[in-house]
Amino acid sequence: MGNKVWWRVWPPAVSFAVFLALWQASCAVFAIDPWTLPSPVRIAMRMKEESGLLMKHLAATLQLAASGVGIGLAAGVALAIMLHLLPVVRSAISPFVIASQNVPLIALGPLLMIWFGFGLEPKLILLTLVCFFPIAWSMLAGLGRAEPYLREYLAMIGASKWQILRRLEIPASLPFLFSGLKITVTYSVTSAIVAEWLGASKGIGYYLVLKFKGYDTSAVFAAVICIVTMCLVLYGIAVLLEKWVVYWRPQSQPLRPGEKR
Amino acid sequence: MNLDSKVQLELRGISKSYVRDRKTFPVLDGVSIRVHEGEFVTLIGPSGSGKSTLFRLIGGVEVPDEGQVSIGGRVVTGMRGLISYMPQQASLFPWMNARDNIVSALEIAGVSRQEARTTTQEWLRRIGLDSVGNEYPRVLSGGMQQRVSFLRALLMPRDVMCLDEPFAALDALTRTDMQKWLLQLWETQRRSVLFVTHSIEEALTLSDRIYVLSPAPAQVMREITVPFERPRRADVWTEPAFTALKQEIMALLEQG
Repeated sequence: MGNKVWWRVWPPAVSFAVFLALWQASCAVFAIDPWTLPSPVRIAMRMKEESGLLMKHLAATLQLAASGVGIGLAAGVALAIMLHLLPVVRSAISPFVIASQNVPLIALGPLLMIWFGFGLEPKLILLTLVCFFPIAWSMLAGLGRAEPYLREYLAMIGASKWQILRRLEIPASLPFLFSGLKITVTYSVTSAIVAEWLGASKGIGYYLVLKFKGYDTSAVFAAVICIVTMCLVLYGIAVLLEKWVVYWRPQSQPLRPGEKR
Repeated sequence: MNLDSKVQLELRGISKSYVRDRKTFPVLDGVSIRVHEGEFVTLIGPSGSGKSTLFRLIGGVEVPDEGQVSIGGRVVTGMRGLISYMPQQASLFPWMNARDNIVSALEIAGVSRQEARTTTQEWLRRIGLDSVGNEYPRVLSGGMQQRVSFLRALLMPRDVMCLDEPFAALDALTRTDMQKWLLQLWETQRRSVLFVTHSIEEALTLSDRIYVLSPAPAQVMREITVPFERPRRADVWTEPAFTALKQEIMALLEQG
């Protein structure tokens, strides 16, 4: 067991170390300007210098992203259940929902700011719009895909529509819900950054703009590393949450793209 | 069987056909059967003779083209929630342990949660499945899953139990085991049972009466009263009458 883990860990660890070494060496050998491409060591040092600021802005971004995920989760689940129960509404509003997902954030963000000002509201609305969709759509798929023989059993013993929803469809849709949530948590961070980029006085997106303008490329890289790490941590939390909630599925996951049932 | 006892389930002149690709496929053609109170009745017939359709009609999931379904003397054609049901596949919910699977079904049947819990716990203990209660379906063997599924059907507060080929997916040894187990349990409870099977031996071992169905469109070809006394011995198959009946049913099914 431990051996297996080790064999999964060391190849990427080695390749990562080699990558860093090559990067560091290239910067030295070709004498690349730090504002074009800083070396890993320089980035690490800058990261340490800026750690206080980075943490502060990261916390602001995390708060925004988490609020977006929270609201998006609630809205997504509610919408999925409503559309599942009311097929007419589903076919009526599906095109709008899907269309809303194709409006570029870069266009939507400024519009929301014109409508709602520069406060928290436009950012939260933007994030909610981004976050609810993967959750709502994957859960909606899950609600319709409960095992047919369990559906038949419940019909035979006379379960009502609500009982079927509560005792079969909702539990059966949870693995799908989590596929959506895992996508959402990563989306939420990038969207929060875009929102901050467009106009904010704090957050890692704001920090990025500031450092770009000052040609502080090392700090930009430091911020990117922080962002990626945060995304990975959030993804990890979603995975753990999934294992905890969907405890009855030891290995199998809902369908991945290209998989057959 | 005392024929004066109350009729719990009665199907009168049930016909049903399906339309597929604009063609009509008749499945049931005037089927009439009865199950008296405390009687174990089996339907036997070739595959595709519409036995499962018959169950769906009794369960009210579908409505017959002709004929009516009565339960407890009341015409209930197309009404749901009056029978308890044990399907071929155990149909346990993977996110609940065995006990909660039973409790959940009882709650759907209108039993309060507290009462459902007490009854389930008591019964699991009584039939020696105490340790199984906390297990999730995926770790249970096929036979064990079917025991839980049967108990779930038995505990539903409904007048008629419909068992749809419950042992068809089990291997031969487990199947014999399960028949013995079910026979014992049923004989202490004497619920009204309508049972569907492909196996002639199974039908003869378990039932009071057997209806032999023809291939689709299904009609009742013969009604056979099984003469062996209750409580029934597990080795009832050694009796000469058993073999004779088996041959008779086999001949019917072949000719059908």
